[in-house]
Amino acid sequence: MSTAMNFGSKSFQPRPPDKGSFPLDHFGECKSFKEKFMKCLRDNRFENALCRSESKDYLECRMERQLMAQEPLEKLGFGDLMDGKPGRN
Amino acid sequence: MVPVKDRIIKVTFNADVHASLQWNFRPQQTEIYVVPGETALAFYKAKNPTDKPVIGISTYNVVPFEAGQYFNKIQCFCFEEQRLNPQEEVDMPVFFYIDPEFAEDPRMVNVDLITLSYTFFEAKEGQKLPLPGYN
Repeated sequence: MSTAMNFGSKSFQPRPPDKGSFPLDHFGECKSFKEKFMKCLRDNRFENALCRSESKDYLECRMERQLMAQEPLEKLGFGDLMDGKPGRN
Repeated sequence: MVPVKDRIIKVTFNADVHASLQWNFRPQQTEIYVVPGETALAFYKAKNPTDKPVIGISTYNVVPFEAGQYFNKIQCFCFEEQRLNPQEEVDMPVFFYIDPEFAEDPRMVNVDLITLSYTFFEAKEGQKLPLPGYN
């Protein structure tokens, strides 16, 4: 297995995140949503697909408290959760 | 963006701090299973155990190297200064997806593990940070 320590070859170029940095949730305003999401992961063997509703709720919490720029949830990959029709895609 | 549901990838998480930064910094999950095209959320946690405010700034790395181009962070906590007050502890989310084109790249055919590593440095005025490959 190759490592990232390839002296002389091209190095990994980190890229900034598309939508910038999350402000810190200094007051833990969305902590309960994070806890629900983490519990979902632990209960579902860390399968992201089964916890998308919880991750959507966490991001909505941030948006409601100005801890994240408002964005339509469809653009954040939650389109299939919005129209109530499971199995689309 | 359509998820490629038959291509499950395990993403694992590392957390490091540079020697001069006295934060406790760790991932809140060891791994998460995703598919290309599906947005995913993961958390790190950072605590400043000292009695002074400390400002950190982080960079990240993705291995295997070739998979890094498909790893897209929608939003995270990197590259901007983050200030933690004395004894403060915060959740640090990463919201990301693996580009669906990952599933079309023949070089990725045997890649089913991607590791995301974040390293925090202390941000001090006038100090040039050793962020390899990033200017």
